[in-house]
Formats: sequence, C-alpha cells, structure tokens
Amino acid sequence: MDPQTTQVLLIEDNLGDADLVRLRLVESKFPVNVNCVSRLSDGLASLTKETPSVVLLDLNLPDSRGAETFRRLMEHAPNVPVVVLTGQDDEALAIKAVHHGVQDYLLKDSLSSKHLERAIRYAVERQGLLRALEMSQKQQLEFKNQFLSHVSHELRTPLTCIHQYVTLLVDGLAGPVTPEQIDHLKTVLKSVNQLHAMIRDLLEATRAESGKMGIEPRCISLAELIHQAVAMLRPTAQAKRVGLEIGIDQRLPLVHADADRTLEVLINLLDNAIKFTPAEGSVMVKACLVEPDKDSVYVSVTDTGRGIHPEAKALIFERLYQDPDSVDNNRSGLGLGLFICREIVRLHGGRIWVTSEPGHGSTFSFTVPIYSLVKLLRAVVVYEERMRPAFVLVRVDLAPVVNSARGNWKETWQRCLEILERCVYLDKDLVLPPMGTSGTSETFFVVASTDLEGAKIMTKRIGEQLERRKDVKSEYTLKISTVAINFPQPSDVATLEDQVQSLADHVTQAILASLEQKPWRTTNEKNGNSIKSNKFNQRKFN
Amino acid sequence: MPRPKILVVDDDPDLLRAMRLRLRANNYDVSTASDGYAAIASAQKEHPALIILDLGLPVGDGFVVLDRLQNSDSLSSIPVIVLSARDPQMNEERALKAGASAFLQKPADNDELLNVIQVNLRPGELAQRTAWPS
Repeated sequence: MDPQTTQVLLIEDNLGDADLVRLRLVESKFPVNVNCVSRLSDGLASLTKETPSVVLLDLNLPDSRGAETFRRLMEHAPNVPVVVLTGQDDEALAIKAVHHGVQDYLLKDSLSSKHLERAIRYAVERQGLLRALEMSQKQQLEFKNQFLSHVSHELRTPLTCIHQYVTLLVDGLAGPVTPEQIDHLKTVLKSVNQLHAMIRDLLEATRAESGKMGIEPRCISLAELIHQAVAMLRPTAQAKRVGLEIGIDQRLPLVHADADRTLEVLINLLDNAIKFTPAEGSVMVKACLVEPDKDSVYVSVTDTGRGIHPEAKALIFERLYQDPDSVDNNRSGLGLGLFICREIVRLHGGRIWVTSEPGHGSTFSFTVPIYSLVKLLRAVVVYEERMRPAFVLVRVDLAPVVNSARGNWKETWQRCLEILERCVYLDKDLVLPPMGTSGTSETFFVVASTDLEGAKIMTKRIGEQLERRKDVKSEYTLKISTVAINFPQPSDVATLEDQVQSLADHVTQAILASLEQKPWRTTNEKNGNSIKSNKFNQRKFN
Repeated sequence: MPRPKILVVDDDPDLLRAMRLRLRANNYDVSTASDGYAAIASAQKEHPALIILDLGLPVGDGFVVLDRLQNSDSLSSIPVIVLSARDPQMNEERALKAGASAFLQKPADNDELLNVIQVNLRPGELAQRTAWPS
C-alpha cells in the first residue's frame, strides 16, 4: 500500500451517493483508495482490522440513524478523523457532531471534488495536531507526577533528620533541657508534623490525579470510623475551645467502603471545620439515611465558622484551590485536602458537596455506599427470571501459623480476594466483601449457586490456587468449609424480589451461625494490630 | 542480660548518629553501616539480632542487601526492618517479598519503630491455632 495514498472508509448505504462520492474523489486527482461499506456495523468491523486515513460517514444507515451514528463511531475509533457526509441540512446536528469530535459536516448536494479533497486533507491534519497535543499533555502530566513523587521522597530525607534530632532533644537523650526549651522544641516538632502532612498530601494528590489511588472496600461500620476520627481530633478541638459533637442514626446500616480512606476523608473534613471555626464555636458530625435514597449513608460535617462564598463553592474541591480569605491563616496547607477527599469519595461511587451561608458556617456532606447483600446477590442468584435451585456458603479461613509481625497482611488479603474471584463463576457465584477492619487473620465467604457436590470442585480449586502463593502456603493455615443454605423452594406467590430478600436473610443467618461456631479471629490479633503501620498514627508523631 | 545488638544501615551519617543515640537509650547495642557492602560485612562479623535497613544505598542498594541476607544460611533468620523514604506503594510489597519483616516510611514515629523492633526481637511465639470443625 502506497503510504501517499489516502485510505478512505466510506460508510454509505445509498449506492448512488456512494458512486457520486467515489467519482468526486477520483476527479480530484489526489491518490485515494476508497473502501465502501453500507452498514455502520460493517464500518466498525473494518476499523477494527485497519485504520483508514479518514472516515466519510453518512448519518442515516440501515443499522443506525442521526447523532447515534457518529457517537458510536467516535466511541469505537476516537483517533480516526471523521467527516460527516449527509443530506440533512441541520445546523444543530452539525454543531453536535463537531462537539463530539467530528472534523467536518458536509452536505451531499453541494459537494465539489475540490471541496471534498480539501475537507479530507484538513480533517487529517487537524486530527494529527489534536493527537500530538493530547500526547504532549499526557507526557507533561506524567512528567509532573514523576517529579512530584521524586520531590516528596527527597523532602522526606532531611525531614527525617530534623525529626530525629528534635525528638532526641525533647526526650532529653542529648542532655538536660529546660521546660522553656522543651516548649520551643515542641513548636519545631509541630511544624515538622505539618510539613510531613503536606508532603503526604502532595503524593496522595499526585496518585489521585494519575489514577493510581486505589481503594479496598470492605463491609464496615461507619459509626466506628466516625468515633475514631472524632477521638483523633478531640485534642485539636479542645485546644481551640471548639465543641465537637456526634449525631449518628442508631439504625445506620453497614457500609461498603475502604476504612482507611474513609477515615482520611472524615479527618480531613473535621480538621478543616475545626480550623475555620472560631473559639466557642462548634463542629458537628452526623451520619444518617436520607429518604428515598436506599443506596447510601449520608455523612455531614457542620461548623459554625464564617462560611464559604457562593463563588468559592464550585472551586473548593479542585486541586490547589485556596480560600482567598484564609491568607491570614498561616496554617492553610497546600489546598489538596478537599481534592483528595473528592477523589476518595468518587472512587467509592459517592458524591461530596458543600452548602454554606457566608457568616453562618458550612456543611460538607458526602455519601458512602450501603452494604446491601440483596443487591449483591440479585446479580448472581437469578437466572432467566427464576431463582437458581441450590446455594452453598463457602467459608475460607486464613490464620497465621506463627504470630509474628512478618508480612503485610493487608496486601496479602487483597491478593487472596483477587484469587478467590478468579476461582468462582462471576455470573453465578459471589465473593462477599470481607467484613470489619482487616487483621492478621482473615475470613472470606463465597455464596455459590450450586449444591454441596458442586461446591467440592470449587473448594478444591480455591485451595490449590491459594496455596500457590508462597507466603500463604508458608505462613498461614488454610481452612475451607462449606454449608448448604437451606433455602425453601420458591412458592408461586412470592415475588422474585421477596425470594432474593429471603435468600439474603438465610445467607446472613448462615454466616452468623458459622461465625458463632468458632471465633473467626484468633486471640493474638491485638499484637498484630498494635504494630501495623497505620498512616494515621504516623500523622502525628512525637 | 546482654543488650540485643541492632545493625542500622543508612547512607546519611547524621541519621545514623541520631539512631545510635535513640536505640542506645532504649537498651540496644548499635552498630552501623553506610553502604550495602559494609552492611553484609558487618552482619557476617557481628551477627546482629536485628537489622534496620534503608533502601537507597551506595555499593549495593537495600534490595541487594535483602537478597544476600536471604541467601545466606547463617544470616537469613535475622529480622530486617526496612526504613525508607521511598513510596510504600511501590516498595513495600517488594521489600516484604524479598524477606523484610516490616516496612516503615521515613520519617517514622519513634514509638512505632521501637514497637516493631520489640515485636521482631521476640522469638516467634506460636499463635493459637484455631481448630475448625471438620
């Protein structure tokens, strides 16, 4: 194929129009090779095999019409220049096409060969420029992120040294220090902590921006997290004489969220609220359900600070945004906190927003997805509008052989979860999200749409796959057990939804019964927890 | 009772000095090394009870040191705590796979470091194995 030849993919169902376009192209005398198809699906198939220089696209085809046609094509091949050739003189549609990235919108009846040739040439050029721009933007972003990651590492080294020597002095390990000197040193230490927090935020924001921030959701209690966050910030609030109150709906269901990350959001919002609330003011954190939303828990942090300007509301979650009114505040941070919060909430599929009246404080709210067994089960236990016939609860326990600090169990559990997901049929079996905060031992549950006999094959596969991991085989005892879920056969009266709900109740009971039989955590867990490298413990070091 | 000996490996002499003071004050004997080669030599000669290891080192970085320790019959049982400024997301799992017992990011909290040292110095206690019903 001559590289100078322009390869044209013409998608046109009217043979007369197709011939006309072909004729115009041949007339123009620039080397061109036309491949004509009459259906959009054939066009998409052809694009999968080879990339033409340009696509000439009719909008009304046998298998697609109007805007839908270019939308589907652009989605399939975003990098190929597209010129719409249509009989529809519709300016609104033309603008819409251009917004979708179509390079040109030409009318068939006013088509000259010179005109068409130019349109094609410019479309190719423009698309090329666009690609180059996108590439360079991507490169720049990557370069910036690499740079930030490097900087945060480099800053940590001298910071470590400062921290070490200041703590040596504070602890009196370098000779006696007067109370006044200790006071000065503690001020230095406070600044070191702030610097450390900023460096960490810088890295977090970089990760969020480059899509490298991950979450590991589990089935957890939000109330516990809120109490934890409040306990951590209580001293800060007390020092500022700001009240800190909790209001949690007693019927709050469990949520499906990453505990560390959600705690990070709570700490960030509470920290901000305390920071912007004057002495004798108060901060209130609430968690509740909001009708008619059945999918989320609503968390809000309300302060009695000076509030946020309406113009600032739209920008406040953006990266690097600083409230211009807070310049007097010398502890204003980098402006990354709310950006990180938003990214964490987004990763959970939630929303975060702020309401405020200047002078009367602000309320930051976010949603956390509810853990719903019914919803999770619905996707796998129903087949052709009927319940599958049998269900088995598979329990997989991993307990450490030796209670040592060795290994990063959190990482191990995540890998094990991925292994389990590869061992089941995702359309009919369900690996349940792990429960509670993660510890040195772990219990996974799988609801399998099969009978006990069928479950044997699955448990064998799970055992083999888990033991392939060197660290699991050498350091953990693996125990897999199964129990049939005694689920009454569906009666004709019950709706499918009721049946799924009933199964969910039976599964819950089976899990609770299974957990009651034997404690699912060994007594040594405390040791493991106390040494775990928790980033929130590192947040404030002394 | 003899004080357990800890080998601290870091290429920052100022940090080594501070760590020496801190660990001595907590009843440990301390020896130091500032590059990968010296770390292995010192481990062979002194057989420390525990090693605190930086990752970015001259003459054989932390991963090389971990590899050498793991492949030596006499040294592979010494617990190693990696203490590095590097991003844990990129290095923690790799270090643990290479045989480290724990990964702490600099700057680490002193109490946390001392706690991890203590836990790793205890001879492996057998966890209570839970007997599951068959």
